[in-house]
Amino acid sequence: MKKYIMILMMLFGNAFAHEMTPTYPKLEPAFVSGVYKATMEMFNKRQDVEWYEIGVFDKDFNSIPFVSSFKLLNLNYLGHVKFDIYIRESDKNRATYVCSKSKLRKEDSTKTAVSSRICSKFK
Amino acid sequence: MFRKTMLIAAMGAASFGAYAENVPINGEVQSRCVISTDTPGVYGNPNAYTLTTAPADGGVKPIVRFDVTLADAYYATITAPDSFSSSPSLPDVVTWTGDTAVSAVSDAANMGSYETGKIEYGYTDKYDLTATGSTWFTTSSVATMGGSKAFPGGSYTALVVAECIAQ
Repeated sequence: MKKYIMILMMLFGNAFAHEMTPTYPKLEPAFVSGVYKATMEMFNKRQDVEWYEIGVFDKDFNSIPFVSSFKLLNLNYLGHVKFDIYIRESDKNRATYVCSKSKLRKEDSTKTAVSSRICSKFK
Repeated sequence: MFRKTMLIAAMGAASFGAYAENVPINGEVQSRCVISTDTPGVYGNPNAYTLTTAPADGGVKPIVRFDVTLADAYYATITAPDSFSSSPSLPDVVTWTGDTAVSAVSDAANMGSYETGKIEYGYTDKYDLTATGSTWFTTSSVATMGGSKAFPGGSYTALVVAECIAQ
C-alpha cells in the first residue's frame, strides 16, 4: 500500500521536482583510450528552473575536470535528457560524485528560493 | 447488385484484416532521489530592520520534499540562507539565523528518528535517509539589519540549498 501511495505521489505530486539517475553510475572505457565515460539522465519537473549545472567531484567535493556536451544544461519544464560525461583515466579513482545543480533566475519578489542539487556516486 | 457485392466483399476483407495489436509501453524503474519544492518561502517584514519567514510575521516557510526509492542510499543536506542572492544595496551588515526541521514523513515507523539523528553544522542540517518514502523539511530564516537600520525598499531573494547525495 505504501509503495502505491509513493508511486502516486511521485507521478502526480512533484510540481517542482528535480531528478537525476542512476544513483550509482558506472565509469566505463570510452571509444578514446585513456578516457572513461558514464551516462546520466535528468528530468526537470521544476517550472521555475530551466538551467542545470553539471559537475564532477572527488570525495571532498573538489572539482574534477570532465568533458560533456553541456556543462550548463538547458532543460525546459518536463524536459528529459540523457548525457555522457567523460573523465581521464588518471582521474577515474578520484572521481566520486557527479552532481546536477539548479540555476535560478533573479526575480522581483522578496522570498526564499530553493536551489536543489542531486549527486550520484560512481561505483 | 455489383456495387452491393463489392461492399460486402470489402467489409469481409476488412473484418479479416482487423486484428488486435499489442502496443508496448516500455519503462525502467531506477532507484532515485527526487527533490521537490512543495512551498517556496516568502519573507515577511514585521518591522523595518527584520525579514522573517515566520508565519506570525507575514512570512511563509519554505518546504522541500525528498522522495527516495532506495533505503540507505542517500543523505539529505539542507542549508538555510546566510546571505541574499539578490537584494538592493544594503546600508549595514545583516545577521542571519536559520534552522531546518523535519515537518512530515510518509513512514513514521522508519523515519521517526530523522530529526533526532540529524547532524547540524553551521546553517546546514544533514539527514541520513535510511528508509524509502517521502520526507518534508521546513526551513526557517530570519535576516536582521545591523544597527536597527531599515532594509531599503526592493526585492530580496535568499537561497535554501537542498542536496541529495548518494552514499
